[in-house]
Amino acid sequence: MDTLNILLMGFISIVIINNLVFTKFLGICPYLGVSGRIDMAFGMGLAVTFVVTLSGTLTWLIDHLILLGTPLEVTRYVCFILVIAGAVQLVEMYLRKFFPTLYESFGIFLPLITTNCAILGLCLFINLWGIDNLLEAVVLSFGAGIGFTMAICIMAGIRENLNLADVPKPLKGAPITLITAGLLALAFMGFAGMISPS
Amino acid sequence: MPKAIKHFIEQSWLLIVASFFFGLLIAATNAAWEPRIEQNKITKIDNLMRGLLPKAEKFELAAELQIESAKGKKVKSNVYKALADGRCLGWAFNCEGAGFADKIELIVAVDEHFEKFAGYAVLASNETPGFGDRIKLPFYRNQFAGASAGILKLVKTGDAKKIDSEIVAITGATVSSEAVVKIINNSITQIKDQMQKKGLIGNGK
Amino acid sequence: MANEPQSSAGLYKQTLIAGLWRENPVLRLLLGMCPTLAVTTAVKPALTMGLSVIFVLLCSNIVVSLMRKLLKPHLRILMFTLTIATFVTIADLFLKAFAARMSETLGPYVPLIIVNCIIICRAETCASKNTLVVSTIDALGMGVGFTFTLCVLAGIREILSTGAVWEVKVLPPAFVPWAAMGMPVGAFITLGLLLGLVNAVSKKKI
Repeated sequence: MDTLNILLMGFISIVIINNLVFTKFLGICPYLGVSGRIDMAFGMGLAVTFVVTLSGTLTWLIDHLILLGTPLEVTRYVCFILVIAGAVQLVEMYLRKFFPTLYESFGIFLPLITTNCAILGLCLFINLWGIDNLLEAVVLSFGAGIGFTMAICIMAGIRENLNLADVPKPLKGAPITLITAGLLALAFMGFAGMISPS
Repeated sequence: MPKAIKHFIEQSWLLIVASFFFGLLIAATNAAWEPRIEQNKITKIDNLMRGLLPKAEKFELAAELQIESAKGKKVKSNVYKALADGRCLGWAFNCEGAGFADKIELIVAVDEHFEKFAGYAVLASNETPGFGDRIKLPFYRNQFAGASAGILKLVKTGDAKKIDSEIVAITGATVSSEAVVKIINNSITQIKDQMQKKGLIGNGK
Repeated sequence: MANEPQSSAGLYKQTLIAGLWRENPVLRLLLGMCPTLAVTTAVKPALTMGLSVIFVLLCSNIVVSLMRKLLKPHLRILMFTLTIATFVTIADLFLKAFAARMSETLGPYVPLIIVNCIIICRAETCASKNTLVVSTIDALGMGVGFTFTLCVLAGIREILSTGAVWEVKVLPPAFVPWAAMGMPVGAFITLGLLLGLVNAVSKKKI
């Protein structure tokens, strides 16, 4: 039961309290440049969730089984990014074979996921936070993906409505999106400290 | 099959050669700078301990213990002996626990008999700037210097200048202040226990 | 391509200036946002990050440009990534060895340079198609433009959140610091407003 507790707390923590987009600034680069429709955002979120869960787990395994403590540790970053690129390739091949229409609608997004800061960022954070069991790593990776999806869906929804609002000309597009993200970050700050230290 | 392999090599020879070359480059750079990096890590902890026990000439690793954090997680704690002229001046150990935002890591220093705190320094933390971050400032830290090395109690109001086992919390940062006190309370008893069992303290050593 | 020194010099100057303003990676191309927001709490980390990015951009552009005739089309992204990852590792080791405190402040954002869209984009659009000299100048221009933007953003945030720049107090003690500037809110909103300002200024120019 205690393990379940820790896992649940960890999950809630990374989805809401330490949300990767609003507290660690990860994953918004590709998002800012593309249009803000909810269905595209949701699709990208799902793809990212899958890739990040896979990468988070694989990189944790590689770290703990092979790299840490050995002279090979210095090749961490190269290994991580290769694993992520590989995972994205896998997703691409799988989608192309079994869901061709979905693959078409993703277009350029899929390969772009490799450069999504959130994925590499999460792999590094898992190491930084000293997660020492596999189950926790899997749950946190999955949670990160869910948190990311939630964040960009909220932003896409707001952005859709902003298209109808009277935004001053210089602020249209990226600037107002950033300001929106800032206000959302402010809102999410309210969750900090939700899990008491004891 | 050989044709397939030939095709494969033809396509990816650059990749293979580049990987090999890059690997060498990274290995060389690492070999060149690793001593410096290790030295930096040691210097950092050394400097923090020196700040807490300024009269010490050098610090020796006395024991590597394992304690349990408040949540039951096993944490490694290194205990260092502060020496001057061969005499023991005090001890310093690292401990950690959950803070308001993220993990807080501290270095706590005590006198030579583990009877009084000499103070603490923050090794790593991610508390709110301007509020929880104040655990790094003298106002809060000075309250620990000289307090008796047992269980401390956090209070919201009181005289911060009086040195006793009551610690006055930082205004607007109760949770961070409490986190520090909890971390110290949790570790001081376990460390003292284990050090006594090892015979390193508590018998006039 | 005409080989008169005149047109070459013109091309070089144009490439350099493009990275600084007209095609500023952060403000106009909207690339490299993640580190921009994360490390601009103060000017020192911003400058360190900027210099690291310049180093990686230069090395990556040079190597890719040297290799450009040898690249196989479907493996090129992998090559770029491998190159960039190597140089970022070297930069990270350098920081850990010679600027340990900055390395700690920047934390995981140094390895995140690997996925910084700027570097991969420049490798793809510029270095793999242009000569060594043009690629180098492009790297310099983009890198300096990026660093400049980071420092401006960091300067604003640092002054407003601590009253100091480069840890030197500039504002009078009467100024009550805006702690929000040091937190994600401040980062997003400041960058948003900065972008809006740049848009307004550029529109006027046209």
